[in-house]
Amino acid sequence: MPAIVLHAHLDPFPSPHARREFLAGCRATLPILVGTIPFGFVAGVACVAAGMTPLQSVALSLSTFSGIAQLVTAQLLAAQSPLPVVLAAALVLSLRHLMYSAALSPHVAHLSPRWRLVMSYLMTDQGFAMGVKRFSEPGDRAYREWHYLGAALTLFVTWQSAVTAGAVAGAQVPASWSLDFVVVLSFISILAPTLRTRADLAAALVAGAVALIAAGLPWRLSLVVASLCGIAAGVIYERVKAR
Amino acid sequence: MTTWLAIVGVGLVTLLTRASFMLFANPHKFPHAFRVALAFVPPAVLAAIVAPGLFMPEGTLDFSFDNLRWTAGLAALAVAARTRNAVATIYMGMAILWALQWTLR
Repeated sequence: MPAIVLHAHLDPFPSPHARREFLAGCRATLPILVGTIPFGFVAGVACVAAGMTPLQSVALSLSTFSGIAQLVTAQLLAAQSPLPVVLAAALVLSLRHLMYSAALSPHVAHLSPRWRLVMSYLMTDQGFAMGVKRFSEPGDRAYREWHYLGAALTLFVTWQSAVTAGAVAGAQVPASWSLDFVVVLSFISILAPTLRTRADLAAALVAGAVALIAAGLPWRLSLVVASLCGIAAGVIYERVKAR
Repeated sequence: MTTWLAIVGVGLVTLLTRASFMLFANPHKFPHAFRVALAFVPPAVLAAIVAPGLFMPEGTLDFSFDNLRWTAGLAALAVAARTRNAVATIYMGMAILWALQWTLR
């Protein structure tokens, strides 16, 4: 009997139902890791190449858990950019999290603040996409936050391991492999499903064009300008169409 | 020192945006225009990230066919739009880039 008591004590799940959701979330994430692992490795390599120590690279990865924020922060620090510029770039890159947070909020309103804080810290594009899909499915809605947690933790552990490996190993991968293209492809795979209407397309085309035209601006300001122009284009398109 | 300040600051910025509506605010209390604008954030920001990766791989604009990344990237975008499958997109994109690199070398 003691063995059973011990097991019950160590079991982190409140019910078998929660455990099933958690494991289903982990499993659903496994195919995506084919992108996560090289992206994380590239991010770790890039941070060290930009002049950060491996410790700083891993610390940045733990504090942000966001590939693009890590890459841009490392570039900006290497260019001796002032701190407000670094923070502004991170804010613009993180604006999409506002939208994800708004979309998830009705599904998590019943959870404790601690749960919601953990879910926030672990939020990623892919984790959000899988979470919102599971939350929206019909049927019994209990314990679906465990599905999100399973997916998010799988991504987190994989990502942090890949970044650490990249930061420690350094640029051991030949440039001719073009492994860094995985970063662009990851964002293409996230971009495509967001293009549902002509207004979305207008926002993306304008943002993309401005990013190229404004590329000469210092401190990666092109990213900020392009994002704001794209958002404005979408809003204006919608206004004109509604008239 | 700046590096460590940036590590903490960027971490706070990303955490606060993620926690915004889940922890602190109700999105329905914000004006309609704000929520409309919010909907265009992902396509705009993601396109602003992707475009230079395709058309300026060496840091300068390159629309020529010597730049294999925009061909491979647009093909991957077509795969992504059709399949909505991140894994297929990444596999296809890398396969196309490697195939182009190999045949054109």
